Amino acid sequence: MKTFEEKWTAWLDGQLTGRELSEFEASLPDKAAAEAEKAEAKQLGELLKRELGARSLTNEEFFSHQLRERIEQETGEGSRASAGRRRKNSSWWTIPRLLWAGTVSLALFLVCMVLVMQNEKPAEESQYLTQILNARVDPVISPNATVSIFEVKQDRVTVLWTEGLQSLPADYAAK
Amino acid sequence: MGRLSAYLIPVIALIICAAPEVKAAETVWSGLVIAENVAQPQRIPPELTRIEGSLKRFFGYNQFQVIGQSQKTLKTGQEDWLATSKFFGLHVDARGESEAGYVLNLKLYKEKELLLETDAKLSKRSPLVIKGPQIGSGQLLLVLVVQ
Repeated sequence: MKTFEEKWTAWLDGQLTGRELSEFEASLPDKAAAEAEKAEAKQLGELLKRELGARSLTNEEFFSHQLRERIEQETGEGSRASAGRRRKNSSWWTIPRLLWAGTVSLALFLVCMVLVMQNEKPAEESQYLTQILNARVDPVISPNATVSIFEVKQDRVTVLWTEGLQSLPADYAAK
Repeated sequence: MGRLSAYLIPVIALIICAAPEVKAAETVWSGLVIAENVAQPQRIPPELTRIEGSLKRFFGYNQFQVIGQSQKTLKTGQEDWLATSKFFGLHVDARGESEAGYVLNLKLYKEKELLLETDAKLSKRSPLVIKGPQIGSGQLLLVLVVQ
């Protein structure tokens, strides 16, 4: 059993026929107003169908071609960008850059070394002079002998000076 | 690999620069020298050229002649050697090497008599001169130089 609304909708759409149509139209309180409303609904339906209906493409192949081209273009740009990134990542440590890095590191090291050396105190001069640690003469052979130590700093010569050693004849100067 | 190289190059450079200097073998010249005053002095031996001024000023002689000598190349700093003349012998016993030079034990013999013994730290930049006994009108000097 259809409700009034269902019958009304079917009547507006022109889907009621025969006895059902005559019974529904007879049940309408104001048939003229209903007919006017039906006409308006029909006009509205036509308008909507005309304005909002899907446009049919007249050049489907051209549209598909453009679409494929656009997709390929975007895909190509993406792959080129990623390839560029890969290239960028792999090519940063090139040989010249490595050499530069090494040179700069070496230069920094040398600068640091020079600074450290400048801060160090100069070594004592005595470190570079020969040092006499001890000296002995035979007390039996030379009982009055003495030893002294001299450092000639300007010439960097150290002298062990002995006095009182036994004198010898000139023959002892033989080679 | 590239990044590894980037770290390795500076590190290797630092190691090379910071590595201690490789020491080369050095030669010690030891000489028995007779210093005299003569009318016409002979030229000083080349081994003594660098200390000629000091010798003349300090000892007051104008001629220096080598009567015995020895050149020893030190590799371990533990070597010993002998410089001899007809009557004298200078025995040198190296007893170690330091950054500044060599520790030496020196013994001067007259024939078989020990006249003088000394221990010295011979600097590579500083010669050692020892005044020995008077011989005739001259003086025996012992000279040690790191060449």
